[in-house]
Amino acid sequence: MSVPMSVPRRLVPVALLLLAAGAAVAEEPAHVHVHPTEAPAPALPGGSLYQLGVTVDAADGARLALDSLRGTPVVVTMFYSTCTSVCPMLTLQMQHIAAALDDGERARVRFLMVSLDAARDTPPRLEAFATEHHLPQPPFIVAHAAAGDVRAIAAALGIRYRQLPDLSFSHSSVITLLDRDGVAAARTQVLAADDPGFVASLKAALR
Amino acid sequence: MPRARVPLGLALLASAALAGASPPAERAAMPEGDFTPVVAPGPATKSVHVAAFGLDRRPVTNAAFLAFARAHPEWRKGATPALLADSQYLAHWAGAAELGAAVGPEQPVTRVSWFAARAYCAAEGGRLPTWYEWEYVAAADEARADARQDPAFRERILAWYAVPASRRLPPVGKTPANLYGVQDLHGVIWEWVEDFGGMMISGDSRTQGDPDKLQFCGAGALSAEIRDDYPILMRMALLSSLEANFTTSNLGFRCAYGASR
Repeated sequence: MSVPMSVPRRLVPVALLLLAAGAAVAEEPAHVHVHPTEAPAPALPGGSLYQLGVTVDAADGARLALDSLRGTPVVVTMFYSTCTSVCPMLTLQMQHIAAALDDGERARVRFLMVSLDAARDTPPRLEAFATEHHLPQPPFIVAHAAAGDVRAIAAALGIRYRQLPDLSFSHSSVITLLDRDGVAAARTQVLAADDPGFVASLKAALR
Repeated sequence: MPRARVPLGLALLASAALAGASPPAERAAMPEGDFTPVVAPGPATKSVHVAAFGLDRRPVTNAAFLAFARAHPEWRKGATPALLADSQYLAHWAGAAELGAAVGPEQPVTRVSWFAARAYCAAEGGRLPTWYEWEYVAAADEARADARQDPAFRERILAWYAVPASRRLPPVGKTPANLYGVQDLHGVIWEWVEDFGGMMISGDSRTQGDPDKLQFCGAGALSAEIRDDYPILMRMALLSSLEANFTTSNLGFRCAYGASR
């Protein structure tokens, strides 16, 4: 199965930005004494999903700034609740990945599912979906986003989609692992079988 | 026609000040209409209804984008995170807030990512056009709303596609205005659309395991009349190859106004 995103090309600029960020820190004036506990978070890496500055609505209705997930590895995908073809497999694969972790590990990961259907997948509907599919929140976060933000999140994750006249969606199924800073560390399009490599990357991100 | 309802942004004011007598970007009023895209929207649907909207008559220029970058420092050359624009963002410009002698203010701005194009249009009270909207306008020649079946129209577009990308870009506004008074849709640059991510050459999850439908952009999905419309197929191939942070030397954009549906 082809992966449309060119990972190396995206990672090179990230590395450059990280270098630039390092240089900026080094230039900080020496007379500024910042207590370690009050130090601002280090600059967000250039390749971080959190550069989008997007806020979503969790299924319980709470507003959730994506960058508030910083500090925790996140497994993220996009789906829609009325999908009858591939999304059930996508949801199942998210659950399989969660099940591959022990309880301690699972508590330190978030499994973020953002709906492609901004018009119809309201938080109450997503809440019902989470209940129906036995998705405990946390570690799952089943979220609605505004239409423009859905496009931005999908674009940043390399997820292609298009709504059809019957209001269903044609979409690529991609599960992405974000490291603690929101930078893509692994991705999989495997749905029908386990993907041990992806799980290994997730466990590595937790170490 | 629904125009930008918010007050004109700082960028536009700055643009007018910088460019002196140059008027703000003109917008054409696009009438609503039914349009038959080259790829059927769905199995039982051949045409789409395009609601009335506004569209820049010409692509966004370097001068206009410079004014935007000055008003929005986060979009200056060298300031954008890799997620939002690759390392070649505005690479041909001389500096963070200057074009330099080699870059013409009236040339279309290129080396801009989808995120940057969206941010520009939002600052103008607009948005990027959808792919249907763009193709709807681009189907027109000087006299007809839909000239796509005319071999001469196709030939004219293909002749430009054959021009090497390394050539110096002409200023905007030098190609003939089409029926709607819109220029440069063909013959100058490629343009971003809001839903470029709707172009799927591969990886379409709904067609997994069905070799006949593996690529919904494939010939099987194309109606017979337009299977040989190479200009549109080339545009689709281009859009499907893009990622949202990509920038290239011949990819720019223009803005649309009013709700899309």
